Amino acid sequence: MLRASANALARRASARSLSSVAAKYFPSEPAHPQLVTPAIPGPKSIQLNNDLGEKFDNRATYFVADYKNSLGNYISDADGNKLLDVYCQIASIGLGYNNPALIEAAKSDEMVYALIDRPALACFPSTTYKEILEDGILAAAPPSMSRVWTALSGSDANETAYKAAFMYQHAKLRGDQDFSSEELTSVMDNATPGASEMKILSFDKGFHGRLFGSLSTTRSKAIHKLDIPAFQWPKAPFPKLKYPLDEFATENHAEELACLEAFEDILSQHKGASKVAAIIVEPVQAEGGDNHASSFFFQGLRDITIKHDVLMIVDEVQTGVGATGKMWAHEHWNLTTPPDMVTFSKKFQAAGFYYSNPQLQPNQPYRQFNTWCGDPSKAIIAKTIYQEIVKNDLVTRTAAVGDYLYGGLQLLASKYPAHIKNLRGENFGTFIAWDCRDAGARNEILIKCRDRGVNVGGCGDMAIRMRPTLTFEEKHANVFLQVLEDVLNYM
Amino acid sequence: MSISSLYFPTEPAAPQVVSSSPGPKSQAAITALGNVFDSRAAYFVSDYEKSVGNYLVDVDGNTYLDVYAQIASIPLGYNNPALIEAAKSDKMIRAIVDRPALGNFPGKDSEEIIAEILKVAPKGQDKLWSGLSGADANELAFKAVFFWYQSKKRGYTTQFTAEENESVMKNQAPGSPDLAILSFERAFHGRLFASGSTTCSKPIHKLDLPSFNWPKAEFPSYKYPLDQNETENAAEDARCLSIVENLFNTWKVPIAGLLVEPIQSEGGDNHASKAFLQGLRDITLKHGALMIVDEVQTGVGATGKLWAHEHFDISPVPDLVTFSKKFQSAGYFFHDPELVPNFAYRQFNTWCGDPARMILAGAIGHEVVKHDLPAVAKRVGDYLYKKLEALQTKYPKYIRDLRGKDRATFIAWSLADVTARNKFLADMKTVGVNIGGCAEDSVRLRPTLVFEEKHADILVDAIDKILSGY
Repeated sequence: MLRASANALARRASARSLSSVAAKYFPSEPAHPQLVTPAIPGPKSIQLNNDLGEKFDNRATYFVADYKNSLGNYISDADGNKLLDVYCQIASIGLGYNNPALIEAAKSDEMVYALIDRPALACFPSTTYKEILEDGILAAAPPSMSRVWTALSGSDANETAYKAAFMYQHAKLRGDQDFSSEELTSVMDNATPGASEMKILSFDKGFHGRLFGSLSTTRSKAIHKLDIPAFQWPKAPFPKLKYPLDEFATENHAEELACLEAFEDILSQHKGASKVAAIIVEPVQAEGGDNHASSFFFQGLRDITIKHDVLMIVDEVQTGVGATGKMWAHEHWNLTTPPDMVTFSKKFQAAGFYYSNPQLQPNQPYRQFNTWCGDPSKAIIAKTIYQEIVKNDLVTRTAAVGDYLYGGLQLLASKYPAHIKNLRGENFGTFIAWDCRDAGARNEILIKCRDRGVNVGGCGDMAIRMRPTLTFEEKHANVFLQVLEDVLNYM
Repeated sequence: MSISSLYFPTEPAAPQVVSSSPGPKSQAAITALGNVFDSRAAYFVSDYEKSVGNYLVDVDGNTYLDVYAQIASIPLGYNNPALIEAAKSDKMIRAIVDRPALGNFPGKDSEEIIAEILKVAPKGQDKLWSGLSGADANELAFKAVFFWYQSKKRGYTTQFTAEENESVMKNQAPGSPDLAILSFERAFHGRLFASGSTTCSKPIHKLDLPSFNWPKAEFPSYKYPLDQNETENAAEDARCLSIVENLFNTWKVPIAGLLVEPIQSEGGDNHASKAFLQGLRDITLKHGALMIVDEVQTGVGATGKLWAHEHFDISPVPDLVTFSKKFQSAGYFFHDPELVPNFAYRQFNTWCGDPARMILAGAIGHEVVKHDLPAVAKRVGDYLYKKLEALQTKYPKYIRDLRGKDRATFIAWSLADVTARNKFLADMKTVGVNIGGCAEDSVRLRPTLVFEEKHADILVDAIDKILSGY
């Protein structure tokens, strides 16, 4: 079963030889989970959560955390249990809990001003915003991306990218003409031609957020969407690959070709003023089950979008910022033409979209606009995260640790084939997932892991996903693999 | 003692103008920023470190009396010491570096942080859901409204049908139902896709974006001064209410919620009467729809009450009240437990708000109550309004339809047209006042809650000086 490439083996060896960044950041990080209650959530968590429920919808709570006592890769709960965290606030903690570099940034004067004098950025930018962007978010930009528009969350990032796409496509149709009086009037009634009939195409099982535009492109689960009005936008099939990949190379290639064909068909069905303005796609469909596709598929999407003059938005909200062993997951594809926009949030704490074509900036100000246009305090954190990633070579390390972890999971998969199926994320950093027997078995494994001191999350209907920090190392992987084996033994 | 002197012993006594606006340094900085970030809406580049209280300093060294205050979003003045303290607290540091997925892993202090915000909740509201901006807050409120509306038809605990589960994945009814939010002409509720569909202030906010075909009713257009036009304005209320009633009866899809600002701010500072707002409330009750009051711009004290809709004693209280801007945090207040959807993960996202911003909201609420800042705003607003009335008599061409009497500093007036208004706004910068417009022809005052008589005097003198040259 072991099919790691020579590259991966070399990286795995280097993972062992590197000094521990986690030990440097977190000298007193626990060596293993510490459990003080027989089950999690414990009594204090339950009590605090009940209090919270009087004021705030708390029914999705796993446990109440004690962030003050959390450290590095370990999250503490209110009862004093310390869990190895490979879920990390739904994949959004980059450098571990209470990272000293982030604490320093949070205590800086720059941060204090950003918090208490929050600017309406587009009208009254600060003297420092350009530098904050250039030293952080833009320094980290994917290849060939030179500009950014900042937002507040992944959904917001995607929706502002959609707005840029719609305005761009209509500007192309309109040419040099000004808005017509009919457009100016009809738009106030939410009617065409002023309101657009163009569409954003997304993929089956995609997740792009939960506001009304982004939710219309989200196709992961019914519970995310029920009872909410949606735009009639098209969805295309996303490849359903069979694992292990090298055993099913022919079938998977045929599957990807069929998906590309169906995709192009949909683009052909919508023309002119009701065309598909842009597609949005995740490098790995994370919420939808960690569904991967090959570089061939994504290059195919890029070629077809160019052919049909449709923009390509890559949603890197969950995949971005190092976890896949590259700063941005779409860099794995080596596209011949880069995407038009790349959205980010989560691990970067700041959110927004990258682009390079100046025409993605609408022709007039106040079209892509709102009161805050982002949040400098989060941009400062993003800058610090990026600088720490570079300083400690965390992307390379994550690639190496990921290979080590993947190897360990392969061994477990051969030992427990009923419980670890379709293992995926080889050569993809720690961005690893697998399917369980069914949803019931998956949920049981998640709970049993938690009760043994590992906080791990699911995705899709029956998958488990690894979303550790970028300071997750071999020693953490060993703890995780041991707990998982204990649980699978019991199943 | 003067609250601004208490907070800001070193606040400038007057504006200082050292260059045109934007000055050369601002211009260079705006151009440079434009290479990486759309900077075409920039007025000037600010030096927040040097700004204090009601005064905003730009990179050229101009010191403006700021009565725009980051589009009505700075509550307690620049570099307020109470907020500096909150920003430096251990609680804040943790909120920044360990940002939780609040819906899954709330912190030990989450309940306390939320409770602090709820201390200043509108009358009758005791729960909240948190978001990140005004647009986000409104859309989260819409979602809550749609969940509620369908649950009333289905039964709160009834499971979804197979047909609903299937159709929703195609964005089709019945899973994704055709339902509407009713809003008003000239309203502004944000710029995301659903909030953008309810926004009806200016075409430029909406052009080229897909929108939901949701209905718009007319918002009253009153004649000023109000006390001389009572009969006509009452007839205007009745006319607009009948339009709302008619839309509920005839719109092609059911209207699940009605969304209204207590004062339409971006749309021109259009006020409505108690009779009109109570009339809206009655219509929502009659039709089984919910009432959302958008207090994003009007909330947190500037109208002389913590929440502007409290001026109207709407009964029963609104179902949802959205907030953002001056509160720094965003979200909606509510009280009906059935506005919490029947299952987990329906009203949900990764962060579900931002404790860092919620801590600031708590600190702002605390200061607002401690110093009774709505009362300060009312006192100063009454003072300012009288002076503006006098100026209106002196310059009737340039101060028309003065509005905001008894609404503290939430004051606006109109000029002849957009050209005259824009010239006035630009001219005010030459005398060191940063002031904003709304709608096509209006000027709005949106100072902080620590804006006092001495600042009002400077503002009024500056207006007088500019208008005397016209």
